[in-house]
Amino acid sequence: MIANTNKELKLIEKAAYDFSRKELWPEREENDKFPFGPFFDASLKKAYDLDFFHSILPETYGGIGQGISTLCVILENICREDSSLGGIIFTNSAAYEILIESGSEEILKKLTESADQVNKFLIAFPVFSDPSQVRHMLKATKGNDGYELSGSMEYLVLGSIANQAIVPARIQGTDSYSFFLVDLKGKGVKVSSPIHSLGLHSCPAVDLTLSNTPGKLLGQEGQGQTYFKKMVDRLSVAAASMATGIMKGSFKEAMDYTKERSQGGRKIINWSEVKLMLANMSIKIKNAEMSVAKACQALDTKESGWKECSRAAALLTQETACDITTDGIQVMGGVGFMKDFGQEKRFRDAKHIQAVFGITPVKKIKHFEELL
Amino acid sequence: MVTRKEIKALTEREPRFDDMTSSVRAVGNQPKWITNEIREVMAIARKFTDEVVRPYVLELDLELTKNPAYLPWEFIKKANEWGLYTLFVPKMFGGQGYNLSCCGVFFEELGSACLAMANLVGVHYLGYTMLTASWNVRMLNKISLDIVDGQKKGEPCLLTLAMTEPDAGTDSQNLEMMDTGNLRCHAKKVDGGYILNGTKIFISCGHLSQWHIVHAYTDLKRASDNTVMIAVRTGTKGFSFGKKEKKMGQQGCPASELIFSDCFVPDENVCLDNRDAIRLKRNIAGTNEQIFAYIWGASRMGVGSFGTAAARNAYEEALKFASENELDGQLLINHEWCQCMLAEMYRNVAVSRATYLEATQANAMHGLWKPMNRKSLYYITKFTPARLMEKLVGWVAEKPIATTIFRKLCLDGQTEEEIDRIDGWGSIAKITGTDAGNKNCQIALEIMGQAGLRHSNRAEKILRDAKLLQIYEGTNQVNRVNVFKRLIKRSSSQAEAFSQNNI
Ligand SMILES: Cc1cc2nc3c(=O)[nH]c(=O)nc-3n(C[C@H](O)[C@H](O)[C@H](O)COP(=O)(O)OP(=O)(O)OC[C@H]3O[C@@H](n4cnc5c(N)ncnc54)[C@H](O)[C@@H]3O)c2cc1C
Repeated sequence: MIANTNKELKLIEKAAYDFSRKELWPEREENDKFPFGPFFDASLKKAYDLDFFHSILPETYGGIGQGISTLCVILENICREDSSLGGIIFTNSAAYEILIESGSEEILKKLTESADQVNKFLIAFPVFSDPSQVRHMLKATKGNDGYELSGSMEYLVLGSIANQAIVPARIQGTDSYSFFLVDLKGKGVKVSSPIHSLGLHSCPAVDLTLSNTPGKLLGQEGQGQTYFKKMVDRLSVAAASMATGIMKGSFKEAMDYTKERSQGGRKIINWSEVKLMLANMSIKIKNAEMSVAKACQALDTKESGWKECSRAAALLTQETACDITTDGIQVMGGVGFMKDFGQEKRFRDAKHIQAVFGITPVKKIKHFEELL
Repeated sequence: MVTRKEIKALTEREPRFDDMTSSVRAVGNQPKWITNEIREVMAIARKFTDEVVRPYVLELDLELTKNPAYLPWEFIKKANEWGLYTLFVPKMFGGQGYNLSCCGVFFEELGSACLAMANLVGVHYLGYTMLTASWNVRMLNKISLDIVDGQKKGEPCLLTLAMTEPDAGTDSQNLEMMDTGNLRCHAKKVDGGYILNGTKIFISCGHLSQWHIVHAYTDLKRASDNTVMIAVRTGTKGFSFGKKEKKMGQQGCPASELIFSDCFVPDENVCLDNRDAIRLKRNIAGTNEQIFAYIWGASRMGVGSFGTAAARNAYEEALKFASENELDGQLLINHEWCQCMLAEMYRNVAVSRATYLEATQANAMHGLWKPMNRKSLYYITKFTPARLMEKLVGWVAEKPIATTIFRKLCLDGQTEEEIDRIDGWGSIAKITGTDAGNKNCQIALEIMGQAGLRHSNRAEKILRDAKLLQIYEGTNQVNRVNVFKRLIKRSSSQAEAFSQNNI
């Protein structure tokens, strides 16, 4: 829907969906076994080579320059079949947004120019929390050679696959936090094994411990929350597009199944209770699509109120996705609950994604307070 | 103010007094001692969850994530040692004889620690319920003795209920849908028994169980009045286990495929077939329908208690999190929105519990455990020395007259209104509890954010476990149709449920 009138976006949409169906879908169950099975390195590399990771970047840094819509189109279509890859692209995009918002041009240049491999390009980021709500934060101290970071932080997404991370830390003596870039292969860095979690199994998060680890300050001291909020305003719609993709995938699998499965002497799609459930799903999904499309347009044209559009789209679609994926299992009965079908993973992934950027009710209240 | 005649007429109007008041009417009708038993059973369950279940919750789930083929033999051995598989087996059959009105509370306790382990105990009683619904005293005695023996020897003897087939889930559980469906588990009558051919799927605890209470059909095109309820022992020639499902939740409890291939089962293992059914008051399909209602009335009450358990477990995790974590300089528990969310969760638990307790009383007054809950029988069995009773029952159980009497009393004695009530309330308890369970899990994860995503923090597992509750024992949608069928349809003379005429 985002791509409706834009030829270029249509091509990207097709490429992303093809990738999703042909590359991700067949291996979905295997890939979801991580960290108790192998990581899908090959698929990640292919996605990287297809430039799915660069969409958020300005053209000067090798990006596509199509604005947020491109990212949303990619994420939506990837997440129809496997949100883990979506989660990786999303997290990485959030980190790059922080670089952009903090005006870290040199770092951007360096990272984009030298990144011949995906790990070199990827930046880990704690995308499931709002740093201003984290109680125990990393501490940064300024020495002669710049800043050093110590302490621990939880749930650093991509921490086991990216070469570097952007982490929030409090500079001693200041109230607000700042963002730092750290080399995950560098001094004093300890990374836990991937954390076994509800969903997005192949978008691994780790706990991080730093001990006098050099960190490069991004932007200005104490301005972390400013950059974070700007990033959230822009990327919320991207989170919404992930949720929309999951819903679409869930709906399609459910619908296909109900056309095949018979109970009570007819295809179950012909029981009006099943039909009504599918109808409700389709209505909610269409509304989610419209919401995301509108938010993309508002954001790309910097229409007034675009921030509100972006955040509202996320809060609504993330919640809807939890309902839809619940019904997506339900209309399939017992098989919907089994790992050899796609629905149970979508159900977990949808709930997982709802936690992007923090606790849901708090996100809602903060959103509302911005409007006051 | 009102005459007797008026009272009768006015209270028999919809909604009917009797459908509204099982708990109220149970006061005075049910043996008082049951309350003590419920308290005791709750304590047993709490001790068991403290010592066995809680320390093992995450480990068992993780084990299955890593190795889906794993079978939790150790756990069921432990549960067996604790006597959990004979707890609700009547004393007259050698069990501990705790009253069935305790079941809901018992399973809420177990389930609120771990639904998978609760199921590893609960499914056994699901099989036992199906067996009991046939009121075949000889079979009840025979299988109960096996269970008791299994406890003594330290070799768990569990039961399953086996109805679902690859092409017939809902169809296998609703009489109206059986004949237009694709039931394939065939029972061919031969000299001295039946030969079974076909497959059952999703059978909880299959791989771990010794006895399987199976529905098979002598005429696949007219299964509704050609059903055979038959008990098959693990190890019987021609019976094997197939696939074990890879589930999202309740991973610790296997869902198994049972394969019958020219499997001969002797007549002595038949719990109920048309040779018996024809002797009863109702026509054969009517009796089969009644058996379903007996099973579902009791077992869906149980799933309602599982749902309540999930709701409670999620609530407890959320409460703990909110009590320990700060936001904007204040504990979450002191944010008003959070208090209201916790209150909503608490309400969900309370309402679900009240509903399964109401269904419990419906069963006690009108359903599966009505005979044992008659004051006379209750106190006789309670206070007669077990040895004496076993001897007496052992002798009587072998006589066909025992089964005849029980069937006359329980099957022929049950009215249509009672059947509607227990089955209708079973569905209400199931839908209410399991929807509440899922709702609370969703809310808990919303309150916990990132922390809720971690396996080690337990909340995400409760969500994965709880989703299954809306599916098994009939999907909640199908249970809604069942509420319509049992409690609403009669209000309109033209209404039909599960009918080919419905669209
Ligand atoms: C883990 C697990 C354990 C289980 N354990 C057992 C067990 O121990 N023993 C046993 O016998 N079974 C067991 N079951 C089977 C369970 O009871 C069935 O899965 C359930 O009844 C649904 O059947 P189905 O999966 O075939 O779905 P289907 O019957 O194929 O239903 C698919 C969808 O169609 C809908 N539908 C079907 N018919 C109608 C209708 N007439 N009107 C409206 N909607 C309709 C359903 O609501 C559902 O949404 C288990 C299932 C699972 C998943």
